[in-house]
Amino acid sequence: MTEEQRNLVSILLRVGSVLTGLLGWHYLAVAVIKDPGILVSPVEVVSKAYEMMVTTGELYPHLFASSIIFFYGFVLAVLVGVPLGFVMALSPLVRDYVNPWMTTLYTAPRIAFAPILLLWFGIGAGSKVAIVFLGCVFPVLINSYYGMRVVNREYVELARSYRLDRWALFGKILLPASVPFILAGVRLAIGRGLTGVAIAEWFGATEGLGYLIFFAGQTLNVPTLFVGVAVFAALGIIGFEIVRRVEKFATPWRGQTQGS
Amino acid sequence: MSLLPLRKEISRGAISIFAGIAVWEILARALLENELLIPPPSSVARTFWNLASSGQLNKHFAATATEFFYGFSAACMVGVLLGYLMGMHRWFDEIMDPWMAALYSIPVIALVPMIIIWFGIGIFSKIVVVFKITLVAIILNTAAGIKNLDPVWLELAQSMRLSSWQTTYKIRLPGALPFIITGMRLGVGRALLAVVVAELMASNAGLGYLLRESSETWDSPKLFVTVILLAVIGLTSFNLIKRFEQRMAPWRQSAEWSADS
Repeated sequence: MTEEQRNLVSILLRVGSVLTGLLGWHYLAVAVIKDPGILVSPVEVVSKAYEMMVTTGELYPHLFASSIIFFYGFVLAVLVGVPLGFVMALSPLVRDYVNPWMTTLYTAPRIAFAPILLLWFGIGAGSKVAIVFLGCVFPVLINSYYGMRVVNREYVELARSYRLDRWALFGKILLPASVPFILAGVRLAIGRGLTGVAIAEWFGATEGLGYLIFFAGQTLNVPTLFVGVAVFAALGIIGFEIVRRVEKFATPWRGQTQGS
Repeated sequence: MSLLPLRKEISRGAISIFAGIAVWEILARALLENELLIPPPSSVARTFWNLASSGQLNKHFAATATEFFYGFSAACMVGVLLGYLMGMHRWFDEIMDPWMAALYSIPVIALVPMIIIWFGIGIFSKIVVVFKITLVAIILNTAAGIKNLDPVWLELAQSMRLSSWQTTYKIRLPGALPFIITGMRLGVGRALLAVVVAELMASNAGLGYLLRESSETWDSPKLFVTVILLAVIGLTSFNLIKRFEQRMAPWRQSAEWSADS
């Protein structure tokens, strides 16, 4: 088989797989289960999505509310995570003192902290931003730390032989060299941040995508539930793609990006 | 590296933890009148003792551990099998790929309401949640491991005239093992989060249930006990798997830094 034929077969297989899956889903919903409280056909999900996005537009306030929370939490996480990661990389003293707390917070399931944050910040935007922040900050912090630790020794020696001072060393060598790592952390943070949004909006929210999903789940509104889940998936994919573009733009010297 | 810097790191870590707890105790006692916002460590410890001696903690812990165990072991078996097939056969990989991508990009939490609608509020829905989360991570990593096998090993298998069953058993699976374990490690963290979410949402036992109960009754010491317990469980499982991973694949040093959500 030539390369072209190979690609054609590949595309056919993928499309066929998706179509077969959707048909099976439709058949299961319409002919086997027949209970719209458990499963609805993909046709209904699509028409519900159309209704929510075009006819009534009720999706947008939720999308907007979630975006705001995500944005603040995410930006705050980058603003705190990157400098703290650098400080930890450059000072072993800080690293040793911060490390036990960081590891504990990082490895614990984040959901556990949600009730406490709610207790401290109330049910307003503050607690939600804090939950998203907590989800995003560690991948960014750890990757910034690691990126600065593994900078190639030869670069540092080159900088020394040019007699660069501390700040020039930092700005010209250490910072650019750790950018790919920071971006890898940012990419992980997007997924965790989205989960954080869902968790946050489940506690005492009145709007947002997370609220939409949980409310739909509790009222057995299955089409809306599916739409909400699909929007979350789409946001994840879009966010991932944006970071990949930024990565290509910001680190042109790297031939290909590494998967994490 | 000699032992000295390591010991210094540990002593600094210990100092940091103890100082943190002491400051917390003093601040909580001095500044706050009631224990609602931040209960002092001493009252958290007392509550822990009460809950543990009354057997309550044990019951909830056992419920969560059971759910986790069943879901995780089922996912390991199915995941390695599917991942192996995906790694071996390109057509199977292409058929599965769109579905894996969709499953992978949906946040765990968003699926939980659906799984509860389908499988009820009992233990079974939590097993399904753990299964789903762990499965995707293991499948993707197993497939990557099988695909990235060193061709030299396969040539070796050929020149030794191993049967295809022997090649699988003696070359492919051991070769992919480090990847499989990485998948398991990623799965553990995500599954722990997901099982707690599922229990929080609808259940009658488990640590997530304890979390909801204590936050709804504004029982802060109990809430903190649960949170700290979950943190300890997360930390322990993370370290155990990391150690296991290092033993199985000592050449993969940097694995700990690519922890997924």
